[in-house]
Amino acid sequence: MAREVTEERAIYKDTHHRRPYWLLGILSASVVLAALIAAGMGAVHVPVWLLARQLIGGGALSEDQRMILFSIRLPRILASLLVGGALSVSGLLFQGLFRNPLADPYVIGSSGGAVLGASIGVFLLPSISAAGFGTIALLAFVGALGSITLVYWLARVDGRTPVVALLLAGFAVSTMLSYSSYFLEVLDRDFGTGMRVLASWLHGTIAQPTWPQLAIVTFMLAIGLAGSVPLARSLNTLALGEEYATHLGLSVQQTRIAVIVIGSVLTAAAVALGGLISFVGLIVPHMLRMVLGPDHVRLLPAAALSGALFLLVADTVARTVIAPAELPVGVLTALIGGPFFLYLLRKTKQGGLS
Amino acid sequence: MISLIEFAHVDFAYGTRYVIRDLDARITENQCIAVVGPNGAGKTTLLRLAAGTIAPACGEVSLKGRDLRLLKQREIAQSVAFVPQNVEVPFSFTVEQFVEQGRTPFLKMFGGLRGADYEAMRRAMELTDTWSLRSRVFNELSGGERQRVKIALGLAQQPQLLLLDEPMQHLDIGRQFEMIDLIELLRREGITIVASMHDLALIDGTFSSVWLMSPDEPMRQGSAEEILRPEVLEMAFNCLPHHRPRLMERIRNRMEHAL
Repeated sequence: MAREVTEERAIYKDTHHRRPYWLLGILSASVVLAALIAAGMGAVHVPVWLLARQLIGGGALSEDQRMILFSIRLPRILASLLVGGALSVSGLLFQGLFRNPLADPYVIGSSGGAVLGASIGVFLLPSISAAGFGTIALLAFVGALGSITLVYWLARVDGRTPVVALLLAGFAVSTMLSYSSYFLEVLDRDFGTGMRVLASWLHGTIAQPTWPQLAIVTFMLAIGLAGSVPLARSLNTLALGEEYATHLGLSVQQTRIAVIVIGSVLTAAAVALGGLISFVGLIVPHMLRMVLGPDHVRLLPAAALSGALFLLVADTVARTVIAPAELPVGVLTALIGGPFFLYLLRKTKQGGLS
Repeated sequence: MISLIEFAHVDFAYGTRYVIRDLDARITENQCIAVVGPNGAGKTTLLRLAAGTIAPACGEVSLKGRDLRLLKQREIAQSVAFVPQNVEVPFSFTVEQFVEQGRTPFLKMFGGLRGADYEAMRRAMELTDTWSLRSRVFNELSGGERQRVKIALGLAQQPQLLLLDEPMQHLDIGRQFEMIDLIELLRREGITIVASMHDLALIDGTFSSVWLMSPDEPMRQGSAEEILRPEVLEMAFNCLPHHRPRLMERIRNRMEHAL
């Protein structure tokens, strides 16, 4: 009898608390594979086996191919991986914070500030750059962080920030800021060039990033991920509701601030590289929750990898499907994400959203 | 007798409406207290004060002699568990993931669950007879199962004092009896229990004392026999003695039966 109990206990620990290593393994392998295939695709075709040989021993590619690979395709691939991972992790954090599976990275107003920032960049200050980032990216980043700071400040009452106040203030500020960019559009003197630049940015386009840009965003994503690890467990506790979580000794206010700071930096970094890309931060965590359950500790690494994979595939399709022209990747994520999301909504209508 | 929680001259108000005035009371080890009283008399407020989630406007609530306001919530949660009336979980957590949250006050920021944590969770689920439910989704459980799982979360905190807010609510008569059995069992395990109770007929010998709260009056403490007398209750609950004679008679009978 005693032995049976011990055995059962062992099984209990093994099956219920390990990380989903199999899924993380599959996802990592898929990311590498997808990156190799994507690197070969485009106007100049580079076979996958040549790429693999180049990476292992070097010397398999011609000078032109190397140039295309290292200064065009790889930066872009890396950028889509970073943006996808950042948006997906940020979406997961905000969904946990708001205890609502319908929240997304832009839920507390970062998009409005980013739009205004980008508009200022497009119409007023088009030619300054820092660390490889142009004015559009820099101002979008500043705008996203600025609007979230404003929202947080507005929603704060007596040292507390009720989530409803955050949502409402986020909605109001975001709408106001994004519509106020209209006044800048009036200033457009280049016969609509600025409008076209802004439109493509609004639809989400991963432009040609430089290596310093990528290094900065990689650094931000790494910090964000590291900061999210202790938060994941707190978000599980927070799911029980604010009062109960407080009783259990969780400092709700600190958790909330940490999620907002990390989520906002991730979102702003993604926006700086890729503009406003919709649905990634909403759908990827949602899909994973169906596979892995709602435990944020399990979801976090999987969300980073799947978001990266999803956006890499979407961006590769976006730049090749109507070559030599390009689709904004946001158009593609919306076209894939929208119907999928509606399907989920209908499917989970009875049982509630998981 | 060691006093776990002590209320000294405690006042508490929501805005300007005083719910609790000048409360003096002690929860001592191995007691099993039923808190009764009409709606709005402050039963839940009393439990929250004891759990330290709200602080008194005046007076002091202390845990083993230490003012709750000076303790971290984390420290309080290591010896006092509060099981709320309603818990809304937005995601489909399993019973086990739900119960795991009871270990929150014991976890370090970067540390995961250790052997002792699993042991506490397992023990909590065994005591509440929810071990077999551990892979089920919390939101899909029946009311009675959910109630037991909530108590399992509280027990995973390995508390000396368990505060139950309306543990019988929404339970059918069979599940109510099971809940009484569970309270009896936990009491024998050496856990001090305070439960707010709506249905007076369910208070039997399991409870060592009854606290009767009524608005605008000092709280009365005593044994079930002393408190659960019609004339006392009629006053506290403000129901006219012969307004509904047949109903009153039935309640009286049920209570006499229970005692």
